[in-house]
Amino acid sequence: MSQDTVLVVGAGPSGLTAAANVAAAGYKAVMVEKEDVLGGAPIISGYAKLVPSGEWAKDAIGRMVTRVEDDANVTIHKEARVAKLEGEAGNFTATLSNGDTVNAGAVVLATGFTHFDSINKPEWGFGTFEDVLTTTQMEQMVTAGKIACPSDGRVPERVCILLCVGSRDRQIGREWCSKICCTVSANLAMEIKELSPETDVFIYYMDIRTYGLYEDKFYWKSQEEFKTKFVKARIAEVTASGDGRLLVKGEDTLVKRPIVIPFDIVVHAIGMDPNADNPEISQVFGVGLEKHGFIERAEHYTNTCGTTRKGIYSCGAAYGPETIDDSIAQGAAAAGRAIGDLHALVQKAS
Amino acid sequence: MAIHEKSLIEAERLLEHDSLVVDGVDVSGHWNTMITPRTIKDYDDDFEAKIQTYTGAENVHRCWQCGSCTNSCTMYAQNVQFNPRYWIYLTRLGLTEELIKDKDIIWQCVSCNKCTNICPKDVKPEGVMKALAHWMEEEGITEKSPSTIFDEEFTEQIYHYGRIEDSKVMKNFFKKSGQPLIQSWLIEFTKRMMKRLPVAHGFRMGMNVVFTPKTKSWGKTGEVLQAYVREQKEAAHG
Repeated sequence: MSQDTVLVVGAGPSGLTAAANVAAAGYKAVMVEKEDVLGGAPIISGYAKLVPSGEWAKDAIGRMVTRVEDDANVTIHKEARVAKLEGEAGNFTATLSNGDTVNAGAVVLATGFTHFDSINKPEWGFGTFEDVLTTTQMEQMVTAGKIACPSDGRVPERVCILLCVGSRDRQIGREWCSKICCTVSANLAMEIKELSPETDVFIYYMDIRTYGLYEDKFYWKSQEEFKTKFVKARIAEVTASGDGRLLVKGEDTLVKRPIVIPFDIVVHAIGMDPNADNPEISQVFGVGLEKHGFIERAEHYTNTCGTTRKGIYSCGAAYGPETIDDSIAQGAAAAGRAIGDLHALVQKAS
Repeated sequence: MAIHEKSLIEAERLLEHDSLVVDGVDVSGHWNTMITPRTIKDYDDDFEAKIQTYTGAENVHRCWQCGSCTNSCTMYAQNVQFNPRYWIYLTRLGLTEELIKDKDIIWQCVSCNKCTNICPKDVKPEGVMKALAHWMEEEGITEKSPSTIFDEEFTEQIYHYGRIEDSKVMKNFFKKSGQPLIQSWLIEFTKRMMKRLPVAHGFRMGMNVVFTPKTKSWGKTGEVLQAYVREQKEAAHG
């Protein structure tokens, strides 16, 4: 019996929080991470400053990684996946891809998401033109500290960010809003302007969804203090201008006119897809997926962080597009739920 | 084929040759009608900053296009072409050609300030309307308004004489604004004034019209004043 152990799959913000909370409550956590580094998307994709804290990803997430690494109650398996899971709530046995076995009473799936691959929207020029980038690539440029066109290194006069790339698009089967791209893009616009004051930043949007406290801190601030221009247009096509720039074509819905505007860099605000491994995860762990392909939530009101299988919990972006802050909160909730249920099992047995 | 919806197309975008033969086929008149595209090709990135130098338009960059201004607008209720929200958007992106198309109505803002009160982002649309009207006047896009012509004449006389001579201001104002010098209300006004005016006073007035004396020790004050005003304008609008 291993009713003192929780298996946490995935070492991103929610998984790191779940493991730390399990350990803090006196239980043992075993983390399994498929990559060779801990930290999840913010570290692997090289995010710049996080919203809403404004802290550099490597510092903020770095602290979370150190916290579990320094915790004697947390065991970490890197470059490993769960290949097989047997048993039931209170007594699972997981076989890892590296041959190790883990006995655990509960499992937390903190398996996160996969960034949308812009190749799937070829009309917007990613993969065709060097100066078409994704938000993660642009964040890497911000981290490097210099804004320049990848094609020839010139400082861009104009940068535009296209929102909802891989989100809210029935054509490519993405019928969800990725929740945080509006805020991230407004933040990115400010970072670009800060590093390169001569660059004008435009954001092409259908709606602006900087919900809650992100409204004034990101949307208003980028508009009022950093002169970001918001243009209501869903872009149809990105093409080459013939003189080394890019042409952004679409309809400005507020002027009711077609537009063909030259830009130096076009940034795709890519959305969050279900983790590409979800079909495998669903099979290995015996949990259901909801219609978009994210982990299916159990009844929500009395089964916090539940999945369709008893003893297996989930949190963060595994459930659907999620912010880092909320992923952390859900990681803590999943840990609380898992050890609560284990405690109840022990009580019942004695 | 004939284009039946020509009324929906701006006249300057319709191209038509009265007589045209292509490869021996007569395609005169509407058979050769072409329409130039209405694609917007670029933004004027500096225009917003230029309009912001006018008093009242400082907050134009805050607009997020909710449309509260247009919805509350007194003039919009009279004419749906009067759309402050739209002009603010054009200003922000620097779509000046589009703005100029509405030059004949932008100045119609009555400054009721309902937009100013309702705006959730404190843009002060009324100030933007005034700024756009002034910009158009300064650029010569619209003709000078009568009040501007009056102000200029008034100021000119101050610079020159240190004072104004009423009748001379009126005379020059009428001339510059294309109005007849003799107007019925003016005749009536003069008649009634003459009835009670002391003869000596009337004589002095007449002398002033003819000789227009300067204010005592005016000297170079006018030049200094003019230079100062010019400096201030340059500081504000660059």
